[in-house]
This record gives sequence, C-alpha cells and structure tokens, in this order.
Amino acid sequence: MAAKRASVIATLVLLAACVSQRDAPAGQATVDSLAGLPWDSVLARARGTDVVWRMWRGDPSINAYVDGWVVPRLRDRYGISLRAVEGQGPELVNQLVVEREAGRRTGSASLLWINGETFGNLRREGLLAGPWSARLPNAAYVDSASPIIMRDFEQDPAGYESPWGRVQSALIYDTIRTPAPPRSFAELAQWIRAHPGRFTYDQGFTATTFLKGLMYAQGGGAARFAGGFDSTRYLAARERVFAWLDSLRPALWRAGATYPPDVASMHRLFANGEIDFSMSNNQNDVVTKTRQGVLPASARAFVLRDGTIANSHYVGIPWNAPNAAGAMVVADFLLSPDAQLEKMRPDVWADGTVLDTRRLPAAWSAQFQAIETDPRQVPRDTLAKYAQPEVSPRYHERLAADWRTHVRSAVPQRSGSGR
Amino acid sequence: MNTGVAGTASRSLASLRAVLLVLFALTSIGPLLVLVVQSLGGAWFFPALFPEHWTLGAWNLMKSGDALPGALGTSVGLAMATAIVACTVAIPLGRALARLRGWPRHVAAAAAFLPVAAPPLALGTGLQVMLIGLGLGGSAAGVLIAHSVPAIGYLTLLFLGTFTVFDARVEDESRTLGATRAQTWRRVTLPLLRPQIAEALIVGFLVSWTQFALTLVVGGGEVRALPLEVFAYVRAGQDQRAAVGALLLVIPPAAAFVWLRWAARRTVVPFS
Amino acid sequence: MSGRAHQDASRGGLVGVLLALIVAAPVLAGIGYAAAASAGILGASADGASTARITRVLRDPATWSGFVWSITVAAMATGIATFAAVTAAVVFRGSRLTDRIGLALAALPLPLPQLVAAALGVWVLGQSGLLARLAFAGGWISAPSDMPALVYDRWGVGLVLTMAWKETAFLTVVASALLATRTKAAEDAARTLGANGWATFRRVTWPVLWRGLMPAVVSVFIFVAGSYEAAVLLAPSAPLALPLAIADRAADPNLARRGDAYVLTLLLLGMALVAVAAHEWARARWEPLAE
Repeated sequence: MAAKRASVIATLVLLAACVSQRDAPAGQATVDSLAGLPWDSVLARARGTDVVWRMWRGDPSINAYVDGWVVPRLRDRYGISLRAVEGQGPELVNQLVVEREAGRRTGSASLLWINGETFGNLRREGLLAGPWSARLPNAAYVDSASPIIMRDFEQDPAGYESPWGRVQSALIYDTIRTPAPPRSFAELAQWIRAHPGRFTYDQGFTATTFLKGLMYAQGGGAARFAGGFDSTRYLAARERVFAWLDSLRPALWRAGATYPPDVASMHRLFANGEIDFSMSNNQNDVVTKTRQGVLPASARAFVLRDGTIANSHYVGIPWNAPNAAGAMVVADFLLSPDAQLEKMRPDVWADGTVLDTRRLPAAWSAQFQAIETDPRQVPRDTLAKYAQPEVSPRYHERLAADWRTHVRSAVPQRSGSGR
Repeated sequence: MNTGVAGTASRSLASLRAVLLVLFALTSIGPLLVLVVQSLGGAWFFPALFPEHWTLGAWNLMKSGDALPGALGTSVGLAMATAIVACTVAIPLGRALARLRGWPRHVAAAAAFLPVAAPPLALGTGLQVMLIGLGLGGSAAGVLIAHSVPAIGYLTLLFLGTFTVFDARVEDESRTLGATRAQTWRRVTLPLLRPQIAEALIVGFLVSWTQFALTLVVGGGEVRALPLEVFAYVRAGQDQRAAVGALLLVIPPAAAFVWLRWAARRTVVPFS
Repeated sequence: MSGRAHQDASRGGLVGVLLALIVAAPVLAGIGYAAAASAGILGASADGASTARITRVLRDPATWSGFVWSITVAAMATGIATFAAVTAAVVFRGSRLTDRIGLALAALPLPLPQLVAAALGVWVLGQSGLLARLAFAGGWISAPSDMPALVYDRWGVGLVLTMAWKETAFLTVVASALLATRTKAAEDAARTLGANGWATFRRVTWPVLWRGLMPAVVSVFIFVAGSYEAAVLLAPSAPLALPLAIADRAADPNLARRGDAYVLTLLLLGMALVAVAAHEWARARWEPLAE
C-alpha cells in the first residue's frame, strides 16, 4: 500500500519535472530577444545577476587574474557576480549533451572558455547560443585582419564565440644544460640522436600541436594545408611525420615505449633533469611557471625557425545558459583594453591580446607597446615572424587519433638501446 | 621463561615486531613528511634533497581567496552529511536484510555492494543522468546523493553483519517489560550498537571524503570538493599547492577517527 | 516461526530487497546508459542503433592488453597489501603500547584518496624522486636515468607499490578488527586443547581470518582496477590501463569516437559485476563463521 502510493507520487514528480522543461532553451531565447535592442538593455538586464563561467582552472596565474582582478571589477562596474568553475573542452561537450538529453532547457553555466575542436563540436551539435559576439561594443577593437583571431582552427566563429586571447606554441629549454638549442626540426632530430633519452613529447593536445608544426614544416608550410581537410594530403603528411618519429624512436626518452600523460608531467621531467626540453601551447608559460617554482629559473622559451602554431581562445555561451545577458557583458569586459592589457602583463598571465592596438586611443596603444618583455619570453617580433595559423580541426583530430593507434600502442620493433 | 624453541620463536617474533614497527613508521610518516616539505618549498628539483627556498606562500594563499579552504569546507560538510544520511538509511535497511534467507538475501546483499564496486565513472554517469533530470545536476545536494549511494551500500553490508549476530531477545525482553518500539529502539538497541554506529559513521565519512570521480561527474565542476582541487593542482604541475591540499585531506579524518574511537571505547558493552 | 511472523518476515524481506535495489538503481541506470551509448542510441556520438562500435572496440587488441594490464596490476597490489595487512594485524595483536602504535602507523594512510597516494608515488618513486635523490646523495647514481623506471613503466611497479601502500592501511584495519573479535574464542579453545602458536594460527586463526578478509580484498581489487586518478599519474602509455582508455575516448576530439568510452566502461562494469558476485560468495561463506 505504501509502496503503491510512493510510486504514484514518484510518477507525478517526474511528470512535473518533464512538463516544466517544455519552454525554449534559456540561452538562445535571451540572445534572440536581445538581438534588436541597444547595448544598454543588455547591461540593464545583466545588472545584479550571477554568471557561472566554466573554464580551465589548472593555472593559479589565470585563476588569480580571473578571481582577483576580473571578478571585483565586474561587480563594481556592472553589478555582475561572476563565479569561475572548472570545466574543460571534452567534458563541457559531454555534459551539455547529457543536459540536452535530459531536457534541461536552463543549465547552470552561462559562459564557456573554448576553442578549436571544442567549438566545432559544440557548433555541430547545436549547443551554443548565438550569434552575439559582433554586438559587443569592444568587438570593434578586435584585430579583424588577423587570420589567427578571425578563424578558430579555420572555422568561422560566426558570432557564436567571442575572442579572448591568443597564444603561440613554443619549446622550453634550460640555458644551463642546453646553451645552444636546435633551431629547426632537422637540427632537433640531430640533437635527439646525439642525446638519446633526453627528449620526449606528451600524449595530449600540446604534443599534437608540435606534431602539426612538424607536419607543416615537412609539407611546405601551413598554406599547403589550408582550405579544409584533404584526406590525401593528410595521409601523405602523416606518413612523413610518423617516419620522422619512427626513425627517432629508439633515441627518445624511455626508448619511445611510453610517453608522459600531459604537459605538466613533461614540465616535471624537464625541471628535474630527466629530459632537456619541454613544450607549451603558450610561449609565455615559461614566465608564469618559473615564478610559480614549477620550472627552474634558467628555463627559456624558444621557437623553431620552421614555424610555430599560433591560435586564439574564445568564450562562448551555451544554448541553455541561464544568464546570457550577463555572459555577454562579461565577454565584453574581457575584450576591454583594460582587461586585455592586464592579462598581457608577464607577471599576471602573459596571454596575447586579440585587440588591434592601432585602433585603440593613443594612450592605450602606448601602454600596450610599453609592456615589458620578460627575458625568458620569446621576443614579440620573432614570434610574429614564425607564427603559423591553425588549419581545419580535422587534421588535429586525425593526427591525434592516428598517433594513438600507430605510435603509442605500437610496441617498438627495434629495442636495441634497451634503455 | 624464554628457553628452547619457544624462546627462539618469541625472540624472532620480537625482532620481527621491531623491524615492522620501523618499516611502518618509515612508510607512513615518511610520505607525510614529503607532503609537508613539498608544501613549504618552491622550486624543488633533482638532485636537491630540500627545496631551493622555503616559503609559506602556498599556505598563506589559503587566507586570501584560494580554492582550498572552500573546498575543505565543502568536503567536510559533504562527508559529515553523507555519514549521517547513510547511517540513517543503512541501519533499518541492514536490519531488514538480516531477516532474509536464501536467494533474496544474496540478491539484496549483492545489490548493496554493487554501487561500492561499480567503477565511479559508470556509477557517476548513471547518477548524473538521473540527477540532471531531477534538476540537481551540479548542485551540492546532488553530490550528497551521489556520495550517499556507495556509502549506503557499504554501511548496509556492515549493518547486515551486525544485525545477523545481534541477539534480538534483548529487544523482546524490553518489549515484554512494557516499552514501546521507539523506546526500545532508543534506550536498548541504539546504545548496544554504539560501537558499530561509530564505525559506520567513520566509514561513511571516509567513503565521501575520498570520493573523486563521483564528485567530478555529478558536480559538473561546480561542487569543488578537496580531492578535486588537489587533483587539478597535481595535473597542472602545481605540486606545492597540491601538497597543501593533500595535508588538508589527512588531518580532519585523522582527527575524526581518533575522536570516534575514543568515544566508542567509552561504551564497553558485552556482545551476546 | 508463527504464521504472522512468517508473513512479516517475507514482507519485510521484499521491502528490504526493493530498498537494496534502489541503492543499486544508479548503477543499473549507468549500465543502461552505457549500453545505450555503446549501441549508438544515446550520448554525444549517437548515430543510430548498431553493434558496429561494440565489435570494433572489442576487436581492438589494445583494449584487451589494457584490460589484462589493469587486472594484473590490481591483483599484484591487492596481493601485496593483503600480505602486509595480515602480517601487521597478526604481529601487532594484543594491547601493548607497541601494538597500538604499530596498528596506528599501519592505518595512517587510510584517509588519503588514491590520487594523493599516486602523487606521492610520483614524488617519491620517480626517477627524479626522493629515493633517486637519496641515491644521488649517497653516490649510487649520477643521473635520473640510472634509477630504475618505476613510474610510467610497462610493468606498473610504481602503481602497484603505491596502491599496495594505500590499501594496506584499509586491510590492516579490517584484519585487526577480525582478529580482535572473531577468532578469539576459537583460538582460546585450541590453546586449552594444547595446540602451540603456529598450529593454532595455521589451523584456526588463518582460515577464519582469510574468509573474513575476503570481501574487503575483493573491494580493494576492484577499487585499484577501476582507479583513474592513480593510473593517470603513474601508468604507462602502452599498454593503456582501462580507466585511462575510457578517459581517452571520452575526450576524443572526434565526437563519433566518444561512444567507445562506454563500451570500455561496460567492460569495466562487467569486471565489477564479477567482483560483486565473488564478494557475495565470499561474504555468504563467511557468515556462518561470524556467529
């Protein structure tokens, strides 16, 4: 009797839950309703509200910037209370998919830190609200001539994500151990053979970027790979990349039988002298990491003359964002010269700006130019000289997947060095 | 008198005890010391036996808006709530199961153990789907429910064992003497079970305290329990802060354990 | 039992089974979701029901080498932990101060989550870890590469040692509780009948002890086998441990491949179900001895 009553109640509760979700997805609805209205309406709508921002929280420097600098200013200037919580690309997509399957038209996060294939996946699944980024007042200052900002891995943001910062990948070396680092992939290969067991790369995103750089270098430049994904071109490039890796395999750390799981473990190996190079997607990581005591003080960043990959990172609004207006105001603030300048400081985050400093009022341009470069960073003009854009995310996907099956899982056939 | 074979045996047993004592001291206290040093040192690289410079930096950060104090509070709250919720459900459940015989008993006990044994990712996904549907995704309440599931499972088995050997005649006597069911429960049964309840509270606390994957999947990144912060720091290479968090992970349960053991020992009840 | 008592018992029994199933419901939901996602009905990579994904993943040799690796590592860690725990519990029986200290020391790592144990594993057992630095200070090695590779190694030695260290604490607590309560009466009886220490241990204490410990040992095995945090910090990239393979697939840039994670999860769940059955068998065998 009690059990029967309980089951009736349970059914009613479930039905009620389902019924309440039948309205339009919150995020998209807000974006649509604000589409024709002036910016002041957005500000008014956002005042006094909360915004939950899902972003990578693994770097204390970035957290300090967001929690310690951005949050108080948003509160004081716009009355918005921002809370940044953990959430990285793949889990964001998975969770939004689950939320959609469960019919959650109003989710919990209003803003997401995304780029590249995460953006591609979210767009394809229809999990982003938009378009909205063009209507931000500060969007006028964005460097719209830069292919690195206006194309996210060759994808058109189309207003569904707003640029936030840009980085360029670089290698890290120790000036004491390696006074003369190699300057190209060819020199790097020579160096690896001359110093067996002192070089490796990780299983994650950073190493795939490194391999893509190799792919460009062997293939004649990034321009050859532009214009969408070409399977034939990819397969030819993959053969060259894997041949290069295969020829060097016995000379890699642990004879190429195992690879560190992520960049942080690579930094640890590098700092402790197990390997002589590390790598990072942000050339300025070396500055923040030496300050945090993660890398030795003698560490420096450098780029190969064959080119390094530059890309931007963005913020997006999920389809079921509870507070899209607030999210837009936050995104706009992140684009402000104020916030971009602070973010660029070497002692804060050293993340590149997405603004075209020439479009800014003179006082601002001067401040951007005046930012001192830390000696550990790669000089800005060197970076610009060797910067290469990202290409279709499919190259990244395929390279990562094929590396896993063909290189990582493969037991090395020649185990001569037996280290 | 220690003579002959018996004497040799007891002497070698004594030296074994000494060796083991030293071994356990080294392997238990050693790593804790490593945590302490790691938390106080910046830039600690091979081959240095001690960090390049000592700094209270990571500990000082706790005073100002670092994630750890909040995460500590979240974990303590979750763990205490889980212990209480799980105990409250597991006691009657264990008692009901103890009366079963035959295949229902096996099925029920296996069902209770299932959430304990299930890989946290699988359990977490199932819970996530259910909780998001109920609107509890990413909330502390949802994570509490998530932690309670394996805790209830484990504690049910504990109480299943307890009530299997529990002699219910004490309760029958109390009822014959005129006590109501509630009075019997409060005045007779519960005091008899105090050591088991204490142990169950500790276990429930620890099940929630050490959870990682469940909190991550169900909390959706919003409920920041201490293990999540420590893991994020380790994955990001922030060893110093990770060590601070790790030390915070040891102290409260150690304290709770000691206190509960002491509290339980004060009730010495013969078990019939 | 009287008629009414019988009725009460069977109704209480049904309620008990139902409640226990409610506790198991999230796992069953997880199994259902994983099965549906593997078949392509649900999830980020839903592309219509088919068994193609399941067969593809199960045919991949990397899946099975990872599965076997995870099981082997878990078995070794559990074996070492059981041995150490039994030794500690037996040696530190009694109520002397040294006994209490010994047990407290053995149980000290209990509140640490696996991830802290794993982080310690990296900091202590790594080729540039604390042991290596002590060896360097003692002049036995001149570079990290001279140290044996215990982390990210094919055999998972570091992972085994670290997990064994952590789980010894748990098993010691269980074992010493068993020794303090269950075995006493039988041992006293054996001693009055004239059996000496070792014979008593072999014939009386140990059979009761291992049966009582079995359920906990099964728990430890399945914890270690399914642990993601420990594997990600200590395990090699090939063979890829099962929890790592799952995380890998779940984060695959290609959404269509994410369903693979669910197939692997079902594999892990299958192992868990076997463990549940083993646990229940062990528990049921032990119960009559507990009274």
